[in-house]
Amino acid sequence: MIHFTELEHLPVYDVKGEYLGQLDELCVDPSQNALRIALYLVKSPNKTVLRIPYDQVQSISMLAAQTTVPAASLMVHAPDEGLLRVKKDVVDQQIIDVNHRKVVRVNDVDFDIQPSDGHAELRIMSASVGLAAAVRRLLQGTMAKHRIRALTSLLPSKNIPWEFVNLIEPDSSRRVKLRISYERLSELHPADIADILEELSRDEQKALVEGLDDETAAEVISEIPTELQAALLESLPAEKAADIVEEMPPDEAADVLQEMPPETSAEVLADMEKDEASEVRSLLGFEERTAGALMTTEFVMVGEDARLEGVIAALRNFEGKLEAVHMIYLVDAGATLTGVVPLAQILLADSSTPLKDLSMDPLISVEAHTNEKRVVDLFHKYNLVALPVVDDKSHLIGVVTADDVLEVVVNHD
Amino acid sequence: MNKRLRHFRTNMLIFLAVVGPGIITANVDNDAGGIYTYSVAGATFGYSLLWTLLPVTVALIVVQEMVARMGVVTGKGLADLIREEYGFRTTFFLMVMLLIADLGNTISEFAGLASGMSVIGVARYIAVPLGAVLVWVLVVHGTYRSVEKIFLVACLFYIAYPISCFLAHPQWTNALEGTVVPYVRSGSAYLYMIIGLVGTTIAPWMQFYLQSAVVEKGVKIKDYKLSRWDVIVGCIMTDVVAFFIIAACAATIFASGHRSIRDAGDAALALRPLAGRAASYLFAFGLVNASIFSASILPLATAYYVCEGLGVESGVNKSLREAPAFYSLYTAIVAIGALAVLLLNEQKQVPIILLSQVINGILLPFVLIFMLRLINREDLMGDYRNNRTFNIIAWVTCVAMIVLTLALVVSTFFPTKITV
Repeated sequence: MIHFTELEHLPVYDVKGEYLGQLDELCVDPSQNALRIALYLVKSPNKTVLRIPYDQVQSISMLAAQTTVPAASLMVHAPDEGLLRVKKDVVDQQIIDVNHRKVVRVNDVDFDIQPSDGHAELRIMSASVGLAAAVRRLLQGTMAKHRIRALTSLLPSKNIPWEFVNLIEPDSSRRVKLRISYERLSELHPADIADILEELSRDEQKALVEGLDDETAAEVISEIPTELQAALLESLPAEKAADIVEEMPPDEAADVLQEMPPETSAEVLADMEKDEASEVRSLLGFEERTAGALMTTEFVMVGEDARLEGVIAALRNFEGKLEAVHMIYLVDAGATLTGVVPLAQILLADSSTPLKDLSMDPLISVEAHTNEKRVVDLFHKYNLVALPVVDDKSHLIGVVTADDVLEVVVNHD
Repeated sequence: MNKRLRHFRTNMLIFLAVVGPGIITANVDNDAGGIYTYSVAGATFGYSLLWTLLPVTVALIVVQEMVARMGVVTGKGLADLIREEYGFRTTFFLMVMLLIADLGNTISEFAGLASGMSVIGVARYIAVPLGAVLVWVLVVHGTYRSVEKIFLVACLFYIAYPISCFLAHPQWTNALEGTVVPYVRSGSAYLYMIIGLVGTTIAPWMQFYLQSAVVEKGVKIKDYKLSRWDVIVGCIMTDVVAFFIIAACAATIFASGHRSIRDAGDAALALRPLAGRAASYLFAFGLVNASIFSASILPLATAYYVCEGLGVESGVNKSLREAPAFYSLYTAIVAIGALAVLLLNEQKQVPIILLSQVINGILLPFVLIFMLRLINREDLMGDYRNNRTFNIIAWVTCVAMIVLTLALVVSTFFPTKITV
């Protein structure tokens, strides 16, 4: 293993032993190979930057590197956005350690030297973030490399294998060129991704959300504070924001739209699918801090005469979140709320029992304009998991769930 | 009408969501050391140095505005940006020096606390440990929002100085004249005093703190204008308070014949026979408040940017377990600051405080120049770079600050007795 701190400023000679300059930068070409150093940039004494392709490097070590070709055949380097530069893009930058689910700053990069027919290749192994790497950076160039090695070997080191390193590139076109994907990252729990997101600067947050699929992005965004949600969605193109908002539960979608400036939220609503948009719009009408503002419009509702099979059919057609199915709501022909039945109760009862008979007693519901404090009190008093919300004609219009109430309680502390 | 009212309410809410970092950072500038400097200026030169406050306010605004802007636009702390641009080693040495400088500053804050409390009759062996514990608990158990609210309240307590000044019955016409008409006189003492007043205005740590605080607050680019007002209001508040401190001492200590004052607590004591018990207590209360306030922010800021620059997790919003290095560092700075005041006598504190002043002076050029270079980078700042005119103002300001701060460092080694 060899570190970037040991390679930087390495003297480079051509095949005849003629001095070319100092190694300045290592580039990976992600379109060819994600790990192999494809290009070695050498700063010559007259300040021009020469490029050496990987297959023209005969040998490389802590002491020197040598090419397989004469100096005359080397070209001068022109900047290329499609190359990942170890020094510029990785060292000292923040990366996401997918394995430990956090954002860290890279102190050094570790490579493996691999002989390959007639030349030597460098492969990226890991990013170093620990104390040992920090000390290597401090001592770099001040004493012999083997001394630094001996010294830092006594210190704790912390390396993140390259496969767990997720780079953060705010520029989306460059992200595509460098083939940075957030596939691994999106396998984490949305709450963990949200924690990572909060560590980043705004451009980086935007980059990350753009890189996630809409559903994951919606789940992640649901986990961050509302002001940050709004700021983030505002920074995205309206179309992308609409795609994400569509995937959010309607009550949270309404909350975040309310936080945005009216022009922006109108734009987002216009770009949303009709059904979702009208659902969210109906929630936007409610005064803040009321049951109407807290409730979601995703719930499972069946006729009061329904039985088990009717519930199962309704559940199969239900598109909302699974958390919303703990309670089944019964309505009469006029859509008036007549009962609430826990799903578990239905499963335990005989399949032929009319749901009406399983209904919880008393039937507790609130009107949309009820103050959220009263809602919290009801949850507390009756140990509720969900509370139906009705309009002035007792029509069921939404449900406040325990997680919404928890949020109210936590935020008011 | 209703609509306008609502519009106004929304604007106020946004302003309150943005306000804080600028006002807090500027007010910490009036810490124990600052209050002492202003007291001496008023006591020895009367109203004749008040005019320096105007250019000082402008300089403070110019520098602080740039950092706040960088925080809003990049969403990163200054230490972060320096690390990404200038590498690990530069950042490391910068952080180590800042750490030493701020340790010295923290000691002088606790010394200020002890001296202020002694006016009220509380022994420093009680005042300092109590202050240290208060400061520590505040940050370790607070969230960013709650801590910031307490800091903002501390800013309001600076009102003690204007009231104290009114009780001292200064000659307002003379004071106003001294503020707007630059009065230049020869004599090294006068020059030293000017250097002292200006040199203490911009400390390196402030830039780091302000930018990190703006970032942690999550100010959006479109609300940047409000953030700028936060900075401007803060800087003006600070120098208005300075005005009242100078005027109070000018009206009493200077007017009654000359008196030398050893520390800011001394100034409070000197006010008693001349302006009454109330004025004296208010002056001391202001000092205590300023010292505690600065003693909590300085270590906090230091812990912040050291962790930030070295890539360790930091932030008041994190728990003790999430950011152990941050909290250990914070605790160590508070503890060392308080213990130094308790265990070392004044004679022994002096070299430490001198050292920190020297390091501050050496650091400031680096910090300001890094700052000016970063803020002109297109890839970082885009359209929010300095324009040409502002760049000229900024460079002139920074060079002037650098020269005066270095002059202050030099002058600490060749102390002249300030006599008129």
